[in-house]
Amino acid sequence: MSEVGASGNSGALARGSSILVADDDEDMRKYLVRLLGLHGFQVEAVKDGDAALERIGESPPHLMLLDVMMPGRSGFEICEYVKSSEKTALIPVILVTALDDQESRVRGIKAGADDFLSKPVNREELIARVSALCRLHNTRRELEERRLAEEIQSKEEIRRTFSRYISPRLAERIVDTRGDLFEHSAERTNVVALFADLRGFTRLTEHTEVGAVVEMLNEYFAILTEAAYQQEGTIFNMAGDSMLIGFNVPFAQEDAPARALRVAEEAVSRIVPFSSRWQERHGVPTGVGIGICMGESIVGNVGSKHYMSYTVIGDPVNTAARLMQMAGMNEVLVCGRYFGSVSESISAARVESLGNIALRGKSEPVAVFSIKALERGKAR
Amino acid sequence: MTENRYAVKVPKDLADLVPMFMSNRKKEIDALREAIGASDFEQMRQIGHRMKGSGRSYGFLLVTELGMRLEEAARNSDGGAAETCVAEYVDYIEKLTITYE
Repeated sequence: MSEVGASGNSGALARGSSILVADDDEDMRKYLVRLLGLHGFQVEAVKDGDAALERIGESPPHLMLLDVMMPGRSGFEICEYVKSSEKTALIPVILVTALDDQESRVRGIKAGADDFLSKPVNREELIARVSALCRLHNTRRELEERRLAEEIQSKEEIRRTFSRYISPRLAERIVDTRGDLFEHSAERTNVVALFADLRGFTRLTEHTEVGAVVEMLNEYFAILTEAAYQQEGTIFNMAGDSMLIGFNVPFAQEDAPARALRVAEEAVSRIVPFSSRWQERHGVPTGVGIGICMGESIVGNVGSKHYMSYTVIGDPVNTAARLMQMAGMNEVLVCGRYFGSVSESISAARVESLGNIALRGKSEPVAVFSIKALERGKAR
Repeated sequence: MTENRYAVKVPKDLADLVPMFMSNRKKEIDALREAIGASDFEQMRQIGHRMKGSGRSYGFLLVTELGMRLEEAARNSDGGAAETCVAEYVDYIEKLTITYE
């Protein structure tokens, strides 16, 4: 059973602070509850250490006033318990000891006590010590809350910034890993590289005013970016009218090839109607050309201390770039290795083998397949 | 002028707690007599320790003083000194007068 007291006239700092008193001496318990209650503290009192532990578990107070010698667990044991738990470590603990009991004070310091009060208790000293520690506790709590709010705001800003370069879901995961993901400057890993560029773009720039070209590029990149982010791809590069999207980086994606295929299909199916509109308006045919390849690549942060770029380098990237250059309007060309990883999910009617082709800059010919992109809503 | 050791001033805001406090003192005297009869010095020490803590907190200076002496007597296993303390304690409780201010 516990005793409760609260009333009074104390300052704003004390108001609202809850105090747990544990003392086996009934007179001392009543005395402490009365005095603290008169000063506006919300006080609950228990008569032994075990009851104190129970109360702490149910509802941690703002401050504890513990008698040292109690039946069951002693004040030292309660103090050690409170200070060893992350949830309660910041709660101030005042140990009530005899004035001449140096040994108990030393033991109390070792147990983590924040302050001591001597028996017999002087009422002015009691209120002064309790008020000071409550004030300290409240300040600590406010600072901690402010720090947490700032951390959340900072995370949100980082996430927003990242979201302009990678999919929002990836940005979330990067922020959650506190940037550990980019700790290693570079690593070799399997990457699916997708290159896309806008066919007819050069002609368009010659015949169309600048404002219209920029508008078209924005629409085109919006389609590609949305498609990439839906599949959690990472946009490595955007230059002129081309874009490089990587999969399986920075996080492993078991279905990376399928994700890349979905991006290619989404891009073609959305750009076809968009191109028709632009042809009607400016008389220039446009479309997207896509190249996909996969294999081991080097991925990491490349640059100087002033400018850093998250980059992917390697043969699959070069091959994807060459395939993109070869691709016609709204055509998807893929290397043999990549095709092998998605062939089971594509009907044969949509695939044409172009044989082994010698690509510029490559010593060995590369098996190339053309995949006809699906129109929206049609079966594979 | 000699101070009257039996006149006790208790803060008004503790007035309603005093009857319980006095009742506990009487129980304490019974427990002390029992402990002396049984030469239970640990029990005497514990009671003395409690008296030391609570007495002056309420304004009863002599309860604290007697508590200290009892604790000391118990530590020294001095039954005679403990008996003297208890006799003084009984005398004090019987004769004290309380005013609230």
